[in-house]
Amino acid sequence: MKRVLRRLAWAVFVMWATVSVAFLVNNALPSDPARMVAGQQAPPAAVEKIRKQLGLDQPLRVQYVLFLRRLVHLGPSSIAGPSDPEHGSCANLGALHVDLGRSYQQQRPVTTILAERAPRTLLLAFTAAIVQALIGVTAGVIAAVKKRKTADRVAVGLSLLGVSAPTFVIGLLLQWVFAFKLRLFPIDGYGDTTAEHAASLVLPAVTLGVFGAAYYTRIVRDEMIGELAHDYVRTARAKGLGKAAVVVRHALRNATMPIVTIFGLEVGTLVGGAIITESVFRWPGIGSLSVNAMLDRDGPVIMGCVVVTSAVVVLSTLAVDLAYAILDPRVRRG
Amino acid sequence: MRSTRERAESPRGLVAATLALALTFAPGCSEKLPAPIPSASPESAAPKRGGVLELATFGDVRSLDPANITDGLAPQIIEQLFAGLVDYDKDGTIQPDIAERWIVADEGKTYRFFLREGVRFHDGEEVTADDVKRSVERALHGSARNPAASYYSSIVGFDALDAKQAENLPGVVVEGRYVVAFHLSKRDATFLRVLAMLPLRPVCKSGGARTSASWHPCGAGPFKLPPNGWQRGQQLTVVRHDGYFRPGLPHLDGVRWTLHQNQSSQTFKFMRGDLDIVRDFATPELLRFQADPRWKPFATYDEGHQILGEAMNVQIPPFDNVEIRRAVAAGIDRDALRRIRASNLTATNQLVPPGVFGHDADLRGQRSDYEAALEHMRRAGYPYDPVTKTGGWPHVIPYLVYKQGLQEFMGQVLAQQLEKIGLRIEIRIVNYPTFIALRGRRDATAFGPGFWLQDFPDALSFLEPIFHSKMIADEGTNNWSFYKNPRVDDLIDRAHEELDDARRKKLYSEAQEILADDAPWAFSQNFRFYTQRQGYVRDHHSHPMWMHELKRTWLDRATGPVAGRAIFSEKGLAALLGTDVRR
Repeated sequence: MKRVLRRLAWAVFVMWATVSVAFLVNNALPSDPARMVAGQQAPPAAVEKIRKQLGLDQPLRVQYVLFLRRLVHLGPSSIAGPSDPEHGSCANLGALHVDLGRSYQQQRPVTTILAERAPRTLLLAFTAAIVQALIGVTAGVIAAVKKRKTADRVAVGLSLLGVSAPTFVIGLLLQWVFAFKLRLFPIDGYGDTTAEHAASLVLPAVTLGVFGAAYYTRIVRDEMIGELAHDYVRTARAKGLGKAAVVVRHALRNATMPIVTIFGLEVGTLVGGAIITESVFRWPGIGSLSVNAMLDRDGPVIMGCVVVTSAVVVLSTLAVDLAYAILDPRVRRG
Repeated sequence: MRSTRERAESPRGLVAATLALALTFAPGCSEKLPAPIPSASPESAAPKRGGVLELATFGDVRSLDPANITDGLAPQIIEQLFAGLVDYDKDGTIQPDIAERWIVADEGKTYRFFLREGVRFHDGEEVTADDVKRSVERALHGSARNPAASYYSSIVGFDALDAKQAENLPGVVVEGRYVVAFHLSKRDATFLRVLAMLPLRPVCKSGGARTSASWHPCGAGPFKLPPNGWQRGQQLTVVRHDGYFRPGLPHLDGVRWTLHQNQSSQTFKFMRGDLDIVRDFATPELLRFQADPRWKPFATYDEGHQILGEAMNVQIPPFDNVEIRRAVAAGIDRDALRRIRASNLTATNQLVPPGVFGHDADLRGQRSDYEAALEHMRRAGYPYDPVTKTGGWPHVIPYLVYKQGLQEFMGQVLAQQLEKIGLRIEIRIVNYPTFIALRGRRDATAFGPGFWLQDFPDALSFLEPIFHSKMIADEGTNNWSFYKNPRVDDLIDRAHEELDDARRKKLYSEAQEILADDAPWAFSQNFRFYTQRQGYVRDHHSHPMWMHELKRTWLDRATGPVAGRAIFSEKGLAALLGTDVRR
């Protein structure tokens, strides 16, 4: 329990540090968010008016304090709606409010925008991580069992191809073959119904899956080669257990620790890092949102994406640590 | 240890597999374009009602409030939702819209509009003069974001309303249920043109007296936004306004824009028949369509009403020397620059693009002349010898450009051209927001690309923001040259109040000749768009302001999406999942 609390406290500190650094970097950039809102052709007076409306004429330290004070605070349990002047941009769980401000560009609460986008990114990230693990673990096991044979070379070669090819190349190729030529899937987008969401998810998830499977393949292969050389494997075979049972029920189980580590970290990375795939497939997730926010210098949205992605990475790392304790009794005793 | 055979086989196997993969996909790299999907009826057929026009764009829409237009895509959608007192036709001429006629009185300081009776908003309410006044005050009040507010500064009472020192605009007077007058503090030759723009278009009473981010757009245009018509960042659909005041229009059931769609996806979808019109082409695809005679009858070149050039900061050396600026203007090879993207660029010698009032086809302007450029360098005191490659300006000039823009490539060609007259530039690439911020900051950059798109089709929309000295500011100026010439200022100010078109055009020409000679910019190119449509899209016209003229467009599709190119049936997984991946 003490360990868990210590990890939680550390997680909060890491998030604060990440958010603060992001805030400073975002405001140190030599660009003008007010100009990006007004448009390139707006006269200087119009830009200045918008700068005041957005509060960007205030000193940076004042903006930082206001940002932190607003980020998590206590407020009324029910909010009137987005037009509420004090709490309209908050998301609340009872009296606990989280306020990421309003998008400079859209003028909508950032919490609302993220609530629309985050589930789609989580869906894509989780699906892609499962695809990665399935492809990578399968290929890694095959490669280990058929070490130095053709299957091993093919598995390793394909995984090398997957990690070497840029994501947009894989994505465009899948789009051209399966959406344009074969018409099996939509070219891009998210769709309107659950069935269309599922159909739209396939190509981007496979794109990310192919790209990340290589890491699983290499690590699983190495771990499995090591496990298959152990005495208990020889003993199990000598006792009459089938090869498949030995590999899957015994050797693979002992090789799962690194897989769990990678899986947890990959979900976290994919949440904030599927930018190119989301752009190619027009998947409306946090990756594409953060890129557009950076290009538009939409500060509140940028900070909102940082808060969400750092929370996901920190929590997924925490989950991985806790999972170790469940999977490996030595960790619990230690 | 591997056998010799194993060692030999493994690289061969990998090479063979790679070749097989490449050969499988190679045919796709050079496949022929599909044929345009034809129209079901002959050319002379009367328009049919129905269908949803499918468009796509790489950009996004931030707001559909006419009082809050800050992105490049919103105008073409807002135009469909909101009718104005007057509007531009497809040739850029002002035409009556909600106002059936108007009179100009008081030596050009009063514009009196007579509204049509029975014009309905999307919510069924009638548009009256009170709605016009309310909408104008709503758009010009200081609480509205409205970056275009200053265009209307000639309306009496504007300053107080903009500064939030007043709550209404005395210069807009309701004289009857269908009569509204605008009183100006001084003559304004651009007033009708800026009124035809979008910000002051009447909005429903639900829009209130002040702007609100949560307002559902509601106007009197040919299309309306249904309750769930806008999925942010994904797509936006508008549907026919059945109460639209022009009988029988629009023909379309609706228009759908797919947002954030990259160029390759747009091309895929267009070839499949899932998009009806495309403008956003990657250059290789553009060239393929242009070269295909089957697609030519359904393509148009549209003037972009943009100027591209090289903007020189006249306050930073060496461009504080007018002869150096003249050398640049004469030393650039406009035709060579045009060939960087010949499908979209046309060389020019002046500020105002063709198709914009004030463009002067007889203007001498700037000309590419290598010998003249060398002479200007000599007069500047920095002679350059092209034979020995000695002389010229002794320092490297930073050239600021933004990443992946057309200007990044033009800058590389420019560097070679200017080196031949003794000017060496160093290209510095930054992202677009940084570029815009630095270009508008005093003393930040000496040299870089300049570009400007018309706000309204008049030379003033180019001259005033870019070259009038009142636009100079320490931050955020659009006068990137920090150019100040009292004679040019005077010509612009007089043109603002000159209601006679012929006299105003002369003032514009005089200002342009001074700018050509003073050369704060080297004017280089105009941009034009290539618009490709499918054969069944009828009566579509590009619009100089709103990109598409859609009121009269209709669809007459002969068959479904392009078939026969798929290996499997179109049903596939779509049928399995109960979804249709075709439109």
